[in-house]
Amino acid sequence: MIPLILKLRIKKKNRRGINLWLPLFLIWLIIFPLVLLLTPVILLAALILWPTGKGRYILISYPMIFGLIWHMSGVKIDIQSNDNIIYLNLT
Amino acid sequence: MNEERKRILEMLSEGKINTEEAEKLLTALSSQGSENIQESFKKEPRYLRIMIEPGQESASHDRVNVKIPIKLIRAGLKLASFIPKDAQVKVNEALHEKGIEKDFTKIKPEDIDEIITQLDDFTVNVEGKETVKVFCE
Repeated sequence: MIPLILKLRIKKKNRRGINLWLPLFLIWLIIFPLVLLLTPVILLAALILWPTGKGRYILISYPMIFGLIWHMSGVKIDIQSNDNIIYLNLT
Repeated sequence: MNEERKRILEMLSEGKINTEEAEKLLTALSSQGSENIQESFKKEPRYLRIMIEPGQESASHDRVNVKIPIKLIRAGLKLASFIPKDAQVKVNEALHEKGIEKDFTKIKPEDIDEIITQLDDFTVNVEGKETVKVFCE
């Protein structure tokens, strides 16, 4: 499933750090119409570059990138050391 | 009664095998069946986990806990397999410089599923100053 919320916490010794709760679903609402608008441009670019061999890669990788974003939900990175904390969670 | 069991009993009744051999064959067949049942009940892993925890002798208190969805790895590998050949050669060269001898040009999209399936049984457990665990769940 597509990630809807990003939780990010970065803390360094003697610094305030970042504590972020980002509602990604609002960002997707903006990005998806842009993606749809970009689709004909990508298709055109793929057609133009088809003889060079790069068109195929553009055509295949465009939906694959969204596949990659779609499956990012569930990623959790939690690194703690004596002085630093890095926490990232996509839900 | 399944086909194999029926055939063993037929061979016994025809005198092609004796009772001892028939028993051995039936035991082998039932153990094979239970393995297949266990295999079918085996859940597909959803996450690749990487955990590093400090050991008792460790001076540092670094902890790492990473959880990556298998579907993301699958999507990433599929995308990587479509990287143009000339770019893959550059990736290989960069990896070679770092001492990693892997030829990514040989990974085909059809190999991805095989790699992911094999991840199911993949477990790394290293215990030293730090405890490192890499597994699927």
